[in-house]
Amino acid sequence: MANFLISRLLYAAIVLLGVSVAVFFLIRIGGDPSALFLPPEASIEDIQRFRHLMGFDRPLVIQYWDFLSRATRGDFGMSLRYEQPAMQLVLERVPATLQLGGAAFVLSIVLAVPLAILAAANRGSIIDRASLLISLIGQSFPAFWLAIMLILLFSETFHMLPPSGRGSWQNLVMPAIVLATYSTAIITRLLRSSLIEVLQSDYVRTARGKGVRESRILLSHALRNAAIPTLTVIGLQVGALLGGAVITEEVFAYPGIGRLAIQAIANRDFTVVQAFVLFMAAVIVVINLLVDLSYGLLDPRLRTGK
Amino acid sequence: MRKTTDPTGRSAHRRTEKGEQMKDILRRHFVAGTLGAAALALLPLAASAQNASTIVVAQAADAYSMDPAKHSAFPTANILFQIYDGLVSQNEKGDIVPALATSWSNPDPLTWRFKLREGVKFHNGEPFNAAAVKYTLDRALDPNFKAPYYSRISQIKSVTVVDDYTVEIKTDKPFPTMLLSLYEASFPALIVPPSYTAQNNSADLAAKPVGTGPYRFVEWKKDERVVLEANPDYWGGKPAVEKVIFRPIKETRTRIAELKSGGVDIAVDVPPEDMASLDGGETKISTVASDSLYFLAFDITRDTPLKDKHVRQAINYAVDVDAIQQALLNGMGTRIALTLPANAFGYDQAWKPYPYDPAKAKALLAEAGYKDGFTVPLMTRKGRYMKDSEIVEATAGFLAKVGIKVNIQYLEPGVWGQVSEKKGREGITFPGWSGRDPNLVWYPLLHTGEYQSYYSNPELDKLLDAGAGTIDQAERKSIYEKAAAIIKEDAPHLPMIQPPLIYGLDARLTWTPRPDGMIDLRKAHF
Repeated sequence: MANFLISRLLYAAIVLLGVSVAVFFLIRIGGDPSALFLPPEASIEDIQRFRHLMGFDRPLVIQYWDFLSRATRGDFGMSLRYEQPAMQLVLERVPATLQLGGAAFVLSIVLAVPLAILAAANRGSIIDRASLLISLIGQSFPAFWLAIMLILLFSETFHMLPPSGRGSWQNLVMPAIVLATYSTAIITRLLRSSLIEVLQSDYVRTARGKGVRESRILLSHALRNAAIPTLTVIGLQVGALLGGAVITEEVFAYPGIGRLAIQAIANRDFTVVQAFVLFMAAVIVVINLLVDLSYGLLDPRLRTGK
Repeated sequence: MRKTTDPTGRSAHRRTEKGEQMKDILRRHFVAGTLGAAALALLPLAASAQNASTIVVAQAADAYSMDPAKHSAFPTANILFQIYDGLVSQNEKGDIVPALATSWSNPDPLTWRFKLREGVKFHNGEPFNAAAVKYTLDRALDPNFKAPYYSRISQIKSVTVVDDYTVEIKTDKPFPTMLLSLYEASFPALIVPPSYTAQNNSADLAAKPVGTGPYRFVEWKKDERVVLEANPDYWGGKPAVEKVIFRPIKETRTRIAELKSGGVDIAVDVPPEDMASLDGGETKISTVASDSLYFLAFDITRDTPLKDKHVRQAINYAVDVDAIQQALLNGMGTRIALTLPANAFGYDQAWKPYPYDPAKAKALLAEAGYKDGFTVPLMTRKGRYMKDSEIVEATAGFLAKVGIKVNIQYLEPGVWGQVSEKKGREGITFPGWSGRDPNLVWYPLLHTGEYQSYYSNPELDKLLDAGAGTIDQAERKSIYEKAAAIIKEDAPHLPMIQPPLIYGLDARLTWTPRPDGMIDLRKAHF
């Protein structure tokens, strides 16, 4: 177990280092923010003067080294636009995104798990077909479109929900639905197919032969085994939820990290983009680690690494 | 659906006596309970729309900083203009009017002397005086301060306190557009309180602003809202509306939905196609032709057909700008004869644009030796200005009709900047510009060697230098008249339109938009 953890942590460090290289150089391909930040009439001298003051004219490798050595000490630099520490700007917005992502996550589990169980237990039935249709639609709807449709329906037409902002639970309803749609679809589909597979296995037949009740077979015997592949996907979905939040937050003007990131990219606010991407990478690395560890809880065979 | 939690519990903060009584009934009747919760939830929505003592403004972005000298974004400036004042201001017609300065004069062409308003206090009680003006400008003029809008005030060489309420600003060269560098759209010219600003290296000001303006700062929830309250001691009179909230809503559809559902009172940048649905009932539309300029610029620094004056004139004849304005902008905005806002200094209403005459265009092209047309790149950005790509594509269609094939290249904003820095804009471009004086438009766009200029004409250069070199307005007017004749004839641009600014408003709100796009709530009322 200890070896496993150490190797995973090493792996995490390498991933984060790779991500830092990628984000640092990729965002700089399109040029630095000096011209975007100054007024249109700024002369070329003004731009160069500003660039020099900000240190954007130094060789990229040196800038990267500077960034990396500070970042390892927890200093991710100051935001150009906000004149505040970049990581602080990201972390300030994490609670809002967590709240939205959490609501969407719970919503998708609450919808997907019962739907998948019902579908698998009644294979070929109307419910099953409906579940397949729902997951197909859920996976194909673009979040942006769905968000606009919900706003048109519930805000503009019926005046039932506020189209934007944060503060009350009403503000969460539409963004959470939009965010949950894709993950609900994917979890339903996967859990259904693994349940069907497990239900055809020998031990389930044995259990049935012994006269175990079908509901017990389904919920206790089959679900636990079917959960392992599903869990991997759920873990991936957490990443997708955070990533999907970028679009959803923008449409619903929800003050989370996704909105900050979009704006920072548009403004070439390098430090904020770096802080955001590294934060996301760290979160996903940690979630993957937790998913790996949780396999052991579900499957005793994996606990000792046999 | 059956898994609904206790509805009254979820809206506990709005719990009323009635709600308490309903609780037991709701528990027993689940479906009714869900509906009841929805109904309870709807009440506050309806209520917020009825509040006439608050103006909620929805614009595309939040403030970046509350320090006026530390940002370069218009949405931020709109918020700060309610909190701070400049020495001078602009009225709704676009004239420069007194603000913290009551009058000004030029003892000599290099000196601007301002008499300051007496008895004005900052929101924290600090007195406004000549020292505050000097402190404000000196701070932003310090190169190490890194004010993004430094270039707008960099002509100022020194600021001198003459007495408590007189200040002198000196320049090295005559600076005819000084007043446009001191009003609110010149961001670092908004006056800050010296003692408070000096605290914590301006960090206090950047988080909790203190100005002399009509509204005082209350709260800033980042990316969510900025809340301001009326300043009862405002020198211009207490504003009619008690509270102002600025909300950042980037997505146009969402801003419109907020306006329609009563969540906001002013929504900026409404697309022309949404105007009809917002004009009538509880909402209305307010528009004004902006100071911005839509035009095509031709690169004559490279050896292309565009170097030939006849070709440039032909393009002017070939494009039906009126039709484009009608079709894409609902006829709004102002058609311009030269690349200069029609309300700018020196603009003569008698100027006429080239008429739409494709036959004449073809004849000119033939005369220039391009009977069969030619191909040229057209570089622009997409979504930088309202309907920009649509206008560019319509233009390309008109040009195709006379045999000019344009290859439209949409550049990402950062790449556009990179290309521009290398003087790399080729062929035709749609750069956009703004400015209320020929010295702010023609000089940067047409003077030989200027960063934004892809044109050169020694005769015009002389006139533009002369116009920049004097503060005598009558003299400048005659100089720019001559310059205008050259520009019209030599056609370095295809001047198009001052596009409109379109706002969606709560129908009960009285508020007038300004051509420069700054939002001024001083006189707004329900």
